[in-house]
Amino acid sequence: MASLSRAASAQVIADDAPRLNPHSFQLAALSAPAVLFTFAMIAFPFCYAIWLGFHSFSATGHSRFVGLDNYRKLIGDVEFWNGLYVTFALYFLGLALQIAGGIYLAILLFNAKRLSGFMRSLFISPILLPSAVAGMMWIIILDPSIGLANYLLSLVGLPPSEWIASPVWVIPTIALIDTWHWTPYVALIVLGGLQSLPQNVFEAAQIDGASPARTFWRITLPLLLPTIVTATVLRSVDLLRFFDIIYIMTQGGPGNASNTLNVYGFKIGFEYFNIGYASALMLTLSTIVLGVVLTLNRLRKAVAW
Amino acid sequence: MSSTLSAAWARRLTTLQLVLVGIFLLAPVVWMVLASFKQSSDVIAYPPTLLFTPTIENYRALIETTPFLSYAVNSIIVTVGSTTLGIVFGVPAAFVISWTRVSWPAVLTLAARMVPGALFLLPWYILFRNLGMIGSYWPLILSHAVITMPIVIWILLPYFDGIPRSIYEAAQVDGCSVTRVLWRIALPLVGSGVAIAAILAFVFSWNFFLFVLVLSTSDTKTMIAASFNFVGEGSTRWGVLMAVATLIALPPLMLAMVVQRWLVAGLTLGAVKG
Repeated sequence: MASLSRAASAQVIADDAPRLNPHSFQLAALSAPAVLFTFAMIAFPFCYAIWLGFHSFSATGHSRFVGLDNYRKLIGDVEFWNGLYVTFALYFLGLALQIAGGIYLAILLFNAKRLSGFMRSLFISPILLPSAVAGMMWIIILDPSIGLANYLLSLVGLPPSEWIASPVWVIPTIALIDTWHWTPYVALIVLGGLQSLPQNVFEAAQIDGASPARTFWRITLPLLLPTIVTATVLRSVDLLRFFDIIYIMTQGGPGNASNTLNVYGFKIGFEYFNIGYASALMLTLSTIVLGVVLTLNRLRKAVAW
Repeated sequence: MSSTLSAAWARRLTTLQLVLVGIFLLAPVVWMVLASFKQSSDVIAYPPTLLFTPTIENYRALIETTPFLSYAVNSIIVTVGSTTLGIVFGVPAAFVISWTRVSWPAVLTLAARMVPGALFLLPWYILFRNLGMIGSYWPLILSHAVITMPIVIWILLPYFDGIPRSIYEAAQVDGCSVTRVLWRIALPLVGSGVAIAAILAFVFSWNFFLFVLVLSTSDTKTMIAASFNFVGEGSTRWGVLMAVATLIALPPLMLAMVVQRWLVAGLTLGAVKG
């Protein structure tokens, strides 16, 4: 991440930094509100959540230290494994669709050089919709009996789908909705990458008579890989924590077919008030997200040029 | 000759594909807005109808049968409050980070973007309850400031970094205090950055669902939290549901047109140079 390279360069530059001793008090005072806020609202609650994960709570609110019991319970919990499966099914499906769609849309936007700012903002408007609105909107479009989606299917002679009411189709459908929502975002990132590619490589390829398809697979795509991995990291963080649209549209159903870890953990915490167990689950999910991000970051170093 | 012809065709093909993708991306939004102007019989008509007599019945029902206006006021209070807090905390912090080049606090604020929100919500809920703050706007404003402050810091960092250090040094030689340098020299130079950061913070705070879902009470319910309750009411109220959805979507759509060039920076918080 840029933030990490920033930290690294800070080490190097620190020696040239002006001597600020007379000012350090004022600098501290200026940053104090943000630092205190970050500790109060992010660092402390995070540590508190770790503490909660080692405790069990009675109905009267008394806490009891239970060690790793919550985590042991997690391993034996069928719903946890289902949640893990659902989370990753949605993750891989959604990611594949959005990255492919994002690259496609980015190349279209790149080729259409004379697109006005207004037209461009039409293409990115899904990003701006609150996920709550997106969820509500798709509920009426995907209604199995009177929705627009099934009507369009019937126009081209396809049988109607149950969409989110079907345990089989609910995850592909949610993945499609998220693809609709965030493909323009991936496209914007990839477009930024495309615009910064060295043009002489493409001229050389043209002179050598490379076909457009060959140019794309052999030159454009490899050069874009670092940008694509960046987009992948950013989408991974959101997809692995998928919550809003599922909670609005299916609440994890039908049955537990769309019960992602985040939705399941939320229900444990705020519908069953099992605070200790919910914290343990959320920390496990955080660890998974962190693991994926770190892995992808290594991949990014491998494809950097 | 033939190559210019094929280039023209390639352009047309690109345009055609863009139109198709554009329809896929925009049709659901258009459908939502149309449904909000349909009578309930038209909303649930099958086959779905494009030709209908528009009505503002749904919007009227929203205002007359629900405390919609107070939801809207709550949304504005929470969003403006958290944006203000994000600016007040974030601007000096970004300045100090840029000046001292100590960036770990900025990285720490990103934790909130990596961790599932519910992990914070459990401790927050307990803390706010013990402090007797549940029911007031503070839990909502403070929790949304966790979203807005990192946006402000990360948007402004490159702006502050772009100010030549010689300007600071000259000011210091003239005996300017750090606070004065920020107020009198740096802030006027990064004014447009502050405006962009404020708009992005507003949009992201306005759109956020999870925190208001848990931390808002009947008195502080925002539009998004309230609209979630309409979902359960079924197809009889679809028109009203789409009216709420349209009204919620309006401010971010309009504001983001203004800042669309910086949108990627706001979403990625430093991971991509937009």
